[in-house]
Amino acid sequence: MESILLKLNFARWAAALHLVLFILVSNARSEEEPFRPESGKFPPLEKAHSYRGELVFVDHANRRGSIRIQGEGMYFRNKPHPFAMLPYGIIRYHNAPAQLRDIPLGTVLHVRAFLPPDPKLSAVPVLPINNRNKTAGYSGKGIAPAENHVILLEDEASHCLREGKVWELKEVNIKDGAGKIIARRESKNSGTKAEEETLTFDAATRIWRGLEKLQVADLVHEGTWPESGKKSLKDQAVLLGITWRPTPDGVFTRFHVSDVWLDDVSIQRAARNQTETHKAFIRSRWMPGWVDAVEYGKFGTATVTATLFGGMDDSLYADFKKDVSAMMNPVENTLKHTHGAYGPRHMASRGPILEVKKLEGKAPLGSSGIQVTFKTDLILEGIRPGRVVRICPGSWPQVQIPREEYLGGNKPEERFPTPDIFPKY
Amino acid sequence: MPTNLFYRGYTIFFGLIIASISFAKDSPFRPETGTFPPLAKAHSYQGELTFVDHANRRGSIRIDGDGRFRFAAPSPFALLPYGLVRYHGSPADLRDIPLGTVMHVKAFLPPNPKISAVPVLPTDNRLKKYGNAGTGVAPAENHIYLLEDEPSHCKHLGLVWKLQEVDLKENAGMIIARRESKTGKGQVHLETFSVNTTTRFWRGRERLGITDLINEKIWPRNGKKDLNDQTVFIGITWKPTPGGVFKRFHLSEVWLDELAMERAAQIQNETHKAFIRSRWMPGWVDKVEYGKFGQAKVIVTLFGGMDDSLYADFKKGQKAMLASSENTLKHWAGGTAGTAQMASKGILLEVLKTNKRVPQGSSGIQVSLETDLVTEGFRPGKVIRIRPENWPLLEVPREEYIHHNTDGIEKRFPTPDIFPKN
Repeated sequence: MESILLKLNFARWAAALHLVLFILVSNARSEEEPFRPESGKFPPLEKAHSYRGELVFVDHANRRGSIRIQGEGMYFRNKPHPFAMLPYGIIRYHNAPAQLRDIPLGTVLHVRAFLPPDPKLSAVPVLPINNRNKTAGYSGKGIAPAENHVILLEDEASHCLREGKVWELKEVNIKDGAGKIIARRESKNSGTKAEEETLTFDAATRIWRGLEKLQVADLVHEGTWPESGKKSLKDQAVLLGITWRPTPDGVFTRFHVSDVWLDDVSIQRAARNQTETHKAFIRSRWMPGWVDAVEYGKFGTATVTATLFGGMDDSLYADFKKDVSAMMNPVENTLKHTHGAYGPRHMASRGPILEVKKLEGKAPLGSSGIQVTFKTDLILEGIRPGRVVRICPGSWPQVQIPREEYLGGNKPEERFPTPDIFPKY
Repeated sequence: MPTNLFYRGYTIFFGLIIASISFAKDSPFRPETGTFPPLAKAHSYQGELTFVDHANRRGSIRIDGDGRFRFAAPSPFALLPYGLVRYHGSPADLRDIPLGTVMHVKAFLPPNPKISAVPVLPTDNRLKKYGNAGTGVAPAENHIYLLEDEPSHCKHLGLVWKLQEVDLKENAGMIIARRESKTGKGQVHLETFSVNTTTRFWRGRERLGITDLINEKIWPRNGKKDLNDQTVFIGITWKPTPGGVFKRFHLSEVWLDELAMERAAQIQNETHKAFIRSRWMPGWVDKVEYGKFGQAKVIVTLFGGMDDSLYADFKKGQKAMLASSENTLKHWAGGTAGTAQMASKGILLEVLKTNKRVPQGSSGIQVSLETDLVTEGFRPGKVIRIRPENWPLLEVPREEYIHHNTDGIEKRFPTPDIFPKN
């Protein structure tokens, strides 16, 4: 009897504690005000709304897609949530710059996003500003924020390396080549222990060690992991690739390990491959940036000052040198070139780079902090302050891009894709 | 001069006859409901996967026609409900295939144009010239029976690639290779590919880069080297090409030995097995024998192309669940309990495996399920999904089911409106 009373007392305390926590969390949420970026200004990252979820749809040519966001409720019920990359939005995969096309569907990504800069031109549905607080049935709150214009989209490995975090594997529990891992995402510099998370793995999980790509069966065969049952992994520090799969036994949110990088060499090699993929991509599609100023001369001449967008490999920026020849094209917010039937160079303004300046101080995310001044004898209409351009130094190969990556005419729906592509659930 | 004209006319005339005979042989074919179409009647093409709507089993491919590849607009496709996808030599779902992968396609006309999830084109559209993209880039045969990447295609047809020569400069360059039958007989296809630091090389358990091969002195740092017809499997993608070259494919991957290829196939196979166990085995209804008060015996054929271990889970006397599905293989769900709530439950009375050669798309396995509550969707020719009792009971994500009262007709029959009109 006494123990029942004790339990009841405990239940009251637990309820009160939950209420206090709830108030604290709501206060924290209301403090984080929705933020709408302005044209021509890189928004401060700390004003971005953060969430994470599984990539479920990609329209790479228009730099948009959908993510199933982890909210407060049952994960599997969450509808895919459309997002668009800001023109200066950065994507990172395997700790290297990437494009949406590089990221496998199903990958769990960390997102930092803002309200649409110009709702009239949004390529994804525009939602009420407070939508992040809306409760959607069993899905709970936070699964469809109005902040759907992304400045930073990164996979788990990139997120951990950027934030100085690492996963510590505590215990593995295996049966028939599959099972669960208990792990913690720890901050390298923090003294406090993070919360434990249980993740699933199976025979398709890829394990990277130095040059090797291993499977769970290899670790079992080597005796590193048990064939059956539990084993302590003694807080082994690793990086993880995370995805999501439907979970049995009434578990509504549990993530799955797609990749484990066991050492620095293995993740460095993955990063190198992704960096090379992205370098080849940018060299063929040109460096994006926006126009800071245009000084018009006579008979179509002009001097254009542009800031290059950030997040690329340093070797790409190093190709922008004083006095080298260059080409500049106006592009859309989707970074699509205009009139590319004969290739981007056909319509481009040409001329020398007069100056390459590294701006003082720490560049905001989205900016490279590099400003180039370019002189042309034939300025194009689209090259205006605040407008997005792509620029190509003379040393990059001249290639012709595929049909879906340029505008074929003057159709407004090509310039400004509508959100109609996204299903309504 | 007149003799010359005569010969020219003669050549054109007979050329036209031969062309029309070969077109008639490969004439457009429309599959019928409830019958697996003959693979031999499929139209074949290859191209780069450029867009995927995996929840509706459709996407777009830039088809390699007879013109300039990069001008070819992505051509929408839908997978037939019994259409197979293969990646790294194993069964796959569309979501498993990276954008940019060059795929081999076998496809038919839409079985029912009225409910096609992709644009319906004139039946002779494969002959239409699309400007610089050329002909063959937008065939009406956009309902796919078989979609496979290069290694799967080679394994399926008993082909291998033999590397003849590499020519490198600054960690990038060209490879000349030929695709031929393992037996050395038959047609030989010679091709030049680009290769660079993005190319992944697989050797046993190792993942290597081009610089590893150079450091090991297997490939030269600069210049040409004879590769002595080294037998490999390759993964192919496409990248815009400089130097006025209008079409050249790129090597995304090279499997240098059998072990490396087997390990890639194993991972993909495991991925697909987990996928099918969670989404249930697709098939279609052959027959329904109705009893009294909702009782019925439903005979279904399981679709083909999966790992044998999945079919082995269907055993006589075992409990099973059977659910109506759509041509997109989407489940139906009701209430809050997911797909299981709408399924008919029963016992597998019989599991029959035919010894005859079965058409692609079919597993050749027919199961009979007796249920005391048959649902409306079980009609001969209709698509179902079936789950033996030992598979985990899971809830699929929102975009993969049709809710019985909140989803409209467009979820059952997705329209082609999402595809841009070029």
